[in-house]
Amino acid sequence: MKYKSRILDALDVETFLLARDEGEAKGIMEGLLVELGFADHDIVFLEQVGCGVRVRARAYVHRPGVSYGWLAGGEQ
Amino acid sequence: MMAAERKKILLVPLDPVHDVGLKLIRRALKEAGHDTLLLPPGLEPNEVVSKLLEQNGVDFVLVSRTIGYRVGELLAEFVDLVEACGVRERVILVVGGMAVRPELAAELGFDAGFGSGTTPEEVVAYVEGRPFVAGKERGTGKKKVDLTAGYSYAYRNREIEKQLDLITQEILTWVGNKTSPAVERARLAFSALRGEIEPGEFREKYLGYCDDLVRDYYNHRRLPNRTRLLDREELDALERHQHWEGISTAVREGLPRPAIFIQYGTGCPIMDIMHIKTCEAWGADGVVHFDPSWGARTEGLLAGYLAHSEDGTVITLENLRLLKEYLWPGTLWQVRAHRGLNTPETVVLAGEVGADLTKINMVYASLGAGMDPARMTVDGVEAIRWAVHYGLSFDVVTNEELCGVPAYKAFAGMLIVAHLARKMGGRPILQPLFCRSPEVMIYGQMKDNYIDYNAAKILALQGIIDAPLWPGAPIGFLTHTEDRVQSAVTTALHACLARSLGVEAISIASSDEAYAGGPIVAASRIDTLRGTYEGFRFFGSAGIEPTSRAQEWAQELVAGITRVLKDVASSGSFVQALYRGLLGSPEDGAYPGRVGRGTLLRKEPGEDV
Repeated sequence: MKYKSRILDALDVETFLLARDEGEAKGIMEGLLVELGFADHDIVFLEQVGCGVRVRARAYVHRPGVSYGWLAGGEQ
Repeated sequence: MMAAERKKILLVPLDPVHDVGLKLIRRALKEAGHDTLLLPPGLEPNEVVSKLLEQNGVDFVLVSRTIGYRVGELLAEFVDLVEACGVRERVILVVGGMAVRPELAAELGFDAGFGSGTTPEEVVAYVEGRPFVAGKERGTGKKKVDLTAGYSYAYRNREIEKQLDLITQEILTWVGNKTSPAVERARLAFSALRGEIEPGEFREKYLGYCDDLVRDYYNHRRLPNRTRLLDREELDALERHQHWEGISTAVREGLPRPAIFIQYGTGCPIMDIMHIKTCEAWGADGVVHFDPSWGARTEGLLAGYLAHSEDGTVITLENLRLLKEYLWPGTLWQVRAHRGLNTPETVVLAGEVGADLTKINMVYASLGAGMDPARMTVDGVEAIRWAVHYGLSFDVVTNEELCGVPAYKAFAGMLIVAHLARKMGGRPILQPLFCRSPEVMIYGQMKDNYIDYNAAKILALQGIIDAPLWPGAPIGFLTHTEDRVQSAVTTALHACLARSLGVEAISIASSDEAYAGGPIVAASRIDTLRGTYEGFRFFGSAGIEPTSRAQEWAQELVAGITRVLKDVASSGSFVQALYRGLLGSPEDGAYPGRVGRGTLLRKEPGEDV
């Protein structure tokens, strides 16, 4: 994905999922990130209230100390 | 003052009612010395063109209108009319408003378009034909400030001053004939940096005072776990990288205080630089260097451009120089030295590289960071001596509160270190914990609100001494959750309270403060800077009013501090007071540390104390 290299460190995906509980929401978000092509990811926040779950997931593109795409002159 | 050529500008609210935006722009244009004429709202395009023709020598027509249903047709009709009247070549047509984009403006026949978020200064820059740089226009508040300026350090509480005099005199006498590996390394480093000692001799002597981890690195290039050297290609790429043009205004925008500090330490100095540049752009006044905890428990410092794959950026001369190179000149820079075996040497490096501030507190280091009290006292006094030598002011942090030490005991320790620093010619800054500490969780001082006890701490210290206060670290600690909205809000509220209490500086967390699953990201730093900005904007110069409990608790704190200082003074030994728990006991949750125990030396090297 040519745009990935312009992400300084990580991509956060934040949404409200219709899910039974936080466990299901976690599974959905992890599946979504894998589907989007992000292998290195984590769930930062989950909160179930009412009919669904507020969720924020994080996909690390450049962890500190790795080779940074933006430093190597990643695609514009 | 008029620097650019005077322009004549017709301001046109091509809108049924709204002209506030144009009024703001008119004010900025007038202040810049330009001629302006603001038409009333609600005119039809043909009426506006008639007004334009009545005026001689109009250079610009600034039209304001929010894009919506059929508005595009209206604006295009206006441009067509201007052309039909034969004046299009003589005037520059500009449209601005919500949802206006430059490409849309061009499509409609305008020379330029400005959308929401445009500042009047941007429009003035456009009219004057010069590029707009946010920092240059708005960054006047982003000047480096001296956090200790204007403070007399005079005591308002004579009893406390008297006890502090007794305690600090005893400390200075006690350390008189003692030295430590860290003290010796600091002196060697100072000589080496001045070329007063041959590199070979320096290395031999220096490594004689280091742990195996550091010796292995120098002798065998064996790197500690999870560290790597940055290569030349990466450093060259950093030099070519130019993504940090433009410095915005400070979060505190034009007001003298509080200066806002963020804490960086991603592990990699290159990533740190990007985080620092991001925070500078979003309004931070200062940055604090965080190093890995293992660095504080290792005798000796490493060298080279080192990246570390876990929290904390390794302190080396090269890493610090690299970071300094990329700091905005107006940014305050603190290199912490407070809690480990390299305290004096870290101050030497910080001073040599050009840091503005450091952090020293042997009480916290002894009771909350695992250091042996005797060793830390010798190192702490030496660190203060170096800080004075380099003109570095430093904060005296009270994070032993996070172990459970009650505020009055932690403050007694903080005041001892600050008084010692004053005796030695230093400029200490008091750093009370400004958060939901274990003490308040147990005793319930924040059951009703988070204002009163934090306010009480500030009021107590202000009642004791005229010294700068820098609550931290970070403010609101233990009130944050992984919810970034909640986290940014609680930081902003604590920041507004701190500002209302008139403190000199604050350290704020990112909205990742409570997230332990990975490194802090830049966007989370922006969350809290933005939130704090919004809080400051909301309160302006208005204050937050604590309840009467704040004063009552402040008095209790002062009484407790006085009691502890009397106990320490009458014990006759500051170091023994630390071991005995007078400034924080195992019952409180504080244990005298063991790191560095038995390593003190007499001033004549080689002779154990």
